[in-house]
Formats: sequence, structure tokens, C-alpha cells
Amino acid sequence: MKHERLGELLDGLDLRDGMCVSFHHHLRNGDKTLNLVMQALHERGLKELHLMASALFPVHKPILPLIKDGTIADITTNYMNGPIAECLSNHGLKGSLTMQTHGGRARSIVEGDNVIDVAFIAAPAVDKAKNASGVHGKNACGSLGYAIEDSLYAKRKVLVTDNLVDTLEDPQIQGDAIDDVLLVKTLGDAEGIMSGTLKITKDPLGLKIAREALRLLQALDVFEDGVSFQSGAGGISLAITKGFNDIMRERGLKASFYSGGITRYHVDALEGGLVDKLYDVQCFDDAAIESLKKNANHHAISASNYANPNNANRVIKDLDVVILGASEIDTDFNVNVTTDSYGTIIGGSGGHSDTAEDAKLSVIVSPLLKARTPLIRERVRTITTPGKHIDCLITERGIAINPKRRDLLEKLKDTRLPLFSIEELMAKAHAFTGKPKVSHPGDKIGVVESRHGSTLDNLYKKGD
Amino acid sequence: MARTYLFIPGNVPRMLQNADVFEADALIIDLEDAIATYEKDEARELTAQFLRAHRPQGVEVYVRINAEEPLFSKDMKALAPLEIDGVVLPKTTLSSLKAYEAYQDQFDAKLPLIGLIETPEAFFELLQIAKFSLVKGLILGAEDLSAATGMHRDENGQELLFCRSKLLLAAKAAGIRAIDTPWTTLEEASLSLDIQSAKRLGFDGKCAIHPNQVPSINDAFFPTEEELRKARRIVKRHEETNSMRFSLDGKMVDKPVVEKAKALLESAEAYRFKRGKGQ
Amino acid sequence: MGKSYVAGTLESSDCLITLSPADKLKIEIDTVVHEAFYDHIKTLIEKTLAEESLENVRLRCQDQGALDYTIKARLKTAILKYKESEDG
Repeated sequence: MKHERLGELLDGLDLRDGMCVSFHHHLRNGDKTLNLVMQALHERGLKELHLMASALFPVHKPILPLIKDGTIADITTNYMNGPIAECLSNHGLKGSLTMQTHGGRARSIVEGDNVIDVAFIAAPAVDKAKNASGVHGKNACGSLGYAIEDSLYAKRKVLVTDNLVDTLEDPQIQGDAIDDVLLVKTLGDAEGIMSGTLKITKDPLGLKIAREALRLLQALDVFEDGVSFQSGAGGISLAITKGFNDIMRERGLKASFYSGGITRYHVDALEGGLVDKLYDVQCFDDAAIESLKKNANHHAISASNYANPNNANRVIKDLDVVILGASEIDTDFNVNVTTDSYGTIIGGSGGHSDTAEDAKLSVIVSPLLKARTPLIRERVRTITTPGKHIDCLITERGIAINPKRRDLLEKLKDTRLPLFSIEELMAKAHAFTGKPKVSHPGDKIGVVESRHGSTLDNLYKKGD
Repeated sequence: MARTYLFIPGNVPRMLQNADVFEADALIIDLEDAIATYEKDEARELTAQFLRAHRPQGVEVYVRINAEEPLFSKDMKALAPLEIDGVVLPKTTLSSLKAYEAYQDQFDAKLPLIGLIETPEAFFELLQIAKFSLVKGLILGAEDLSAATGMHRDENGQELLFCRSKLLLAAKAAGIRAIDTPWTTLEEASLSLDIQSAKRLGFDGKCAIHPNQVPSINDAFFPTEEELRKARRIVKRHEETNSMRFSLDGKMVDKPVVEKAKALLESAEAYRFKRGKGQ
Repeated sequence: MGKSYVAGTLESSDCLITLSPADKLKIEIDTVVHEAFYDHIKTLIEKTLAEESLENVRLRCQDQGALDYTIKARLKTAILKYKESEDG
């Protein structure tokens, strides 16, 4: 059914207290859909809803009162920052917070661990047959990867769009699965949707870390025909992606695929013949969207085909190298990208622990010191990715290899790279900063869930 | 021998405490031109506290002091107890060297210095400056020189050829380091041209005014594969023949050539993992 | 109100120290690493002031994650300015 009024759409849904509603973060900090729908549900007096949003950003601040008054009781998400994250860290919520991974979210939906009553999917273009695409329209965002499972498995699937067209030739969401289409004035704010023009860091510390990462990858002989590679959209990651491309070009090599969030540096590699395929769950800039439109070997993929651990065809099971960040790491190589050292939620796994587990080589890149805050702790406040899945840590003051990876250490035994134990790196940091005080968590507010569905760690209020 | 001399402003904690990770072989902590008059006390105190607590390891450390009183004495006094490789003396002339020596003599000190050659006057006493006892190297300061002469610099360096050559010859004649002037933009192509001019003339190294210039300078002053291959063959033949004089590929090789080849291989070994892409 | 004497900046890894005359010692610390290092910074400041035998001052430290050497240097410069002016 096509609706032009939200009220009319909601009238036709089986709305109940405690129901689960889902949203997706491909419009990032430009998303208007989540606020619009949640506000309407609030006005209808619904209580104790389960909000299942693949990510929450500062733009979602207007739903704070709904968390405080119990309209929203439970939240399941893969990533959050901004006022909601701060509020939950300080005050908790009525029910419980579950932080999933991108692959874990898809798995939990496919396998029925999470039953979604209504999925609201923001779609930049929808045709008459209810097919949807992310690459057309004024609020184009590229891949709709994170919404695909919801569009297949939710009890009721609603597309929200501001751009109805006759036909879409390359739909990412198939219309036969869709129940309703809601036409709104505007889906979002284009400026918040795209990260703008992404630039390689100019920060000399970041560039040093990128150089060190490329040296390590060379020492480990990862550069060969058919290698596969993933790296994010942060400044250091982009510098590594560009350097990776340069080395592939110099040596006349061709990679099999780059995966994950896609940027112009990934597109450069595809168009320059340095990589066969791009597997794209999320476009980070306009160059990525344009490429998705025109390049046949640039594939938008669903979250399940990206990272669902029980999907035998997931892309990242063949991943050779992944470059990841960390807000803290401990001497067992456990990585935290979910909270800071004192419990404030600042992010979440996203694909962090999915790719770290699947990739043959997982490399953490981060400054050892951020002003007076040391990266390495004896114990991380929150485990996002278990240390057994982390292979290397690269900082501006040295490299640590997980001692479990004897094969890597053996390969590096004659290297002149600055290798240290992670304890030695921690001591180097403490020589500058002194030893930071240990945090004392407050009450439990939720859990960090592994991609397989087990509890990896608990989330607590900030405490003192 | 150091290739890259990286200037670090003496009043910026973030730069000071990370200075040793940018892969420069030498640091020049700046108390002079990078510091406004009203910040001189802050910068001197910060630099002194920094070097006391966290003297960078594995890198030479110099401090560019202020040449004029009363700042000169204040700077020298603050640096006296610290472990540094020397000072960089702005606008070095023969008379400023004598004043520097006289100051050192009062305290029975012998802190070496690198002379910053950036006035027209200095070029007429260059050999005496280079041979002065505490001077261990000369840096060409083309920016101040341009200001003093009206010279207009560009990346081809034609206008600088005479000054570069003269400084280089004086340094080589005295057996001290010849260090090229910084290039003041970050743009890669022009930096690269400027580096090549200095490298071709025979400079030992070059100043950097930003950490992101360091990899290009390190790479340029790292011997090429061909230079390395040739040096390895010379040293090998020298070891086989146990002689300092032999012929190789029809050319005569003698002692200075053998020693140069050895020095080249040693520095290549030392700097192998401080190169742009680390290959 | 007496004059105040300032050293440092509000840039990352730096701190801004402001000293002014007061009836008794008063220390205010505003730091981005409150949880990890507040107590440590307070002790460092108290110790440095005692070494310089400075008592009747109001001291404000706006810290952007400065290491000890920076806090000490900024304090000493502010104290130097204070003493040159107030004692002279």
C-alpha cells in the first residue's frame, strides 16, 4: 500500500506496547526517518518499545525524552555516539541496551533471535513495484546493505521515501517483499548523509602510523595477486588504503576484492585496475555512489552477505587483511571501540569484531598517546573484540604482535621494524603519561553481544 | 650522519613530545624565529622541562637559540645542564662565533654548534667559520638570505646555486656537515626538485620545517640501489685484495673512494627502516 | 582585583595557567583527563607552588591533556611573571 500520510500508515499497522521497530543508518547523521516515526509512535501512547536501529547518531537526539519516559524500553544497535550515547552511559534506560555487530545483527534477524514487528526503511528511490535503491534521488546514500535483512524478515516492511519513480533497473531491495510505501517530504539532510569529501589525514602522527602499517604488510608479504583488503574511512585508514593501492600499482599486482565501507580511494583502485571487485555495505562519499551506479564490479551487498557468521557465502570469510581502529586495547589484545576508558559510550563494533574474527590478518592502527590518554591498558573497560582475533597493533612508537601468532613472529624475526611486546608499549606510554586511575563501573545497563549471539561483555553506567 | 634536520617549535607541547617519531635523524628545537617575543620565556622553560623529562632517544637534538642579548644568555643558561648535541646559532658570522666561544669559556664549556649561514656578510668569511673549532656543520638559511639580498627563490634553485656551492665547498674543506636550507611549502613536486638540487651538489642532508617533509628528504638522501650495488662491490673487492688501491670496471679506485663506499653502506644500514615506504 | 599572570595555551596537550593574587591559596583545575589524572595534577601543582613558596594566590589550570613537564613549565613561567611583577 502506498501512503502519503504517516498517520494513515500507522492506522493500518498492528501497533502494540512492547513491539520491536527497526531502522537503518545508511543516512547516518542526516537521517530524519527514525525521529519522525518514533515521535508518532510516542504520540499514540505506545510504551516499552524495542528500538532496533543499526546505528544511532547525534541527529537522533529528539528521541531522548522517549527513552526517559519509557516509550522506548530496550535498544539494540551496532554503534552510537552523541547525546543518546551520553545519556545511556550516565542514566541507563528502562529495559536493556544490546550492542551487536553488523554481522551479528543480520544473523539475529535471519535466525529469528530478534523478531522485528515493523521495519521502517529509508529509501532514496522507490519505484511503482516497491523496489528500492540507494543510488538515486537527492538523498542518495549508495548501498542499502544494512537494511536488506529487515526487508526480508520483518513481519511488516515499510519503505519510507521522498522520491517515487516509475521503474528502477538496479534495485537493492526487492518490491515483492515490501508491504507499504510511505511518501514523505524529505528523508533526510544530504549534508549529514555523506561524510563530505573524505581526505587522507595530514596529521604527521597519523601518516607515520600509516607508513608503519604499510611496512609491516610488506614485511609479512601480503602483497600478491588476489589479496583481499578492508580498511575504514578514518584519516589513517584512508592513508593506508592509498598506500596499499600505490604498492599494488608499483608491483603490477591485482587484488581480488576490497570490502566494507567504500570511498573514492577504493573506487580509484577499481577504476585503475588494481582490484577485481568492490563489495560495498556502505558508501562513504559521492565517488562511491557514482561508482556503484556505473561500475559493474562494484557490488552493493547485504549485511548478511557481508558478515553474518552463519552465512557460508559471507564476503569477509575470504578477507586477507583488515585495518581497524581502537579506543583502547589491553595487554591481552582485547579491543574496545564501544566506550571510553571510563564508560561513556562512544561507538560500537559495527563490523569491527566481524572482520577481526574472519580476516586472516587483523591490524589495529592507533596513536599510542592521545594527548595524555594512553591507548593500552591492563584491562579494557569494555570488550568489543576479543584479543584472540587481533593479530597486530601499530602505533607511532612501535608495533606489537599478538604472541599467539607465532607464525607472524617467525616471519618477522629478521626484520628491523620496531617490534615490542604490548606490555613494553604500555610502559612507553606510561613513561609519558603516568599511570591512569582505574575506572569503577556503576550499575549494569546492557550487554555487548558477540556476532554469534553470546554475551561478550557487560555495559555499565559511568560510575566514578 | 643525519640526513634530515627537523625544526620543531619550542613552545608547542604536542610537537615536542612527538618529535622523535617523525623519523628525522636530527631535531632542531626552535626558540628563535618560530617563537614570538612575548612567548620566549614560555618556550625556553617548556623546552628545558621537556628535555629534562623526555630527552628523545635515537635522534640528534639541537636547539636553535636566540643570538641577541639578553635572550642569548638566558637560552644558554637554560640549556647548560641539558643533554643536547649542540645549538644552532642564527646569523652566524665570525664575530658571533667569537662571542659564543667567549661565553662558553666563562663556564669552561664546549657545547658544539651548527652555524646558520643566512647573511651576506657570512659568505665572505665562510671558510674561517667552517674551520672554527666548535662548529660541526653549516646550514644554509635561504629564507633570511633572500630577505637580506632581494633574491627570489624558486624550486629550480638557479638563484641559490652560488651560495649552495660556496657553503658546500667550505664545509667539505673543513670536514664538517653541509646541510641544505629548508623548502617552505609542503607541496611534493617542488619540494622534490629543491631536494634534488641539494643532493646533486653533494649536501649531506637538509632541513625540514614540517614533519610531513621528512619522508621525502629521508628517501632522497638514502642511497639508490645502484649506488648501494656499486658500494658493495667496491668494499668486497677491497676486502678480497686487502688493498686501498685497485681497479674496478677499468677505473682506478683509491682510499677516499673505499671509505666513501663504506660510509654509504653504514648509513644505509642505519636508515634502512626510516624510509618513506619502508621497502 | 589584582592583575593576573598567564602561561600556556588551550591547544591539545597544553594547559593554560592563570595566577592572580588572593587572600589565601585557591586552586581550580579543569581537565579533559579528569577521571584518570585529576588527583595527580592537583598534587603536582601543590608541590610546585610549595617549592616556589607561593601561598596567597588563586591558580586556575585549564588542562587539555598536558603531560607533567608541560604543566610544570607553564606553572613556572606563570610564577616567574607573577614574582617579577608582584614582588618587584
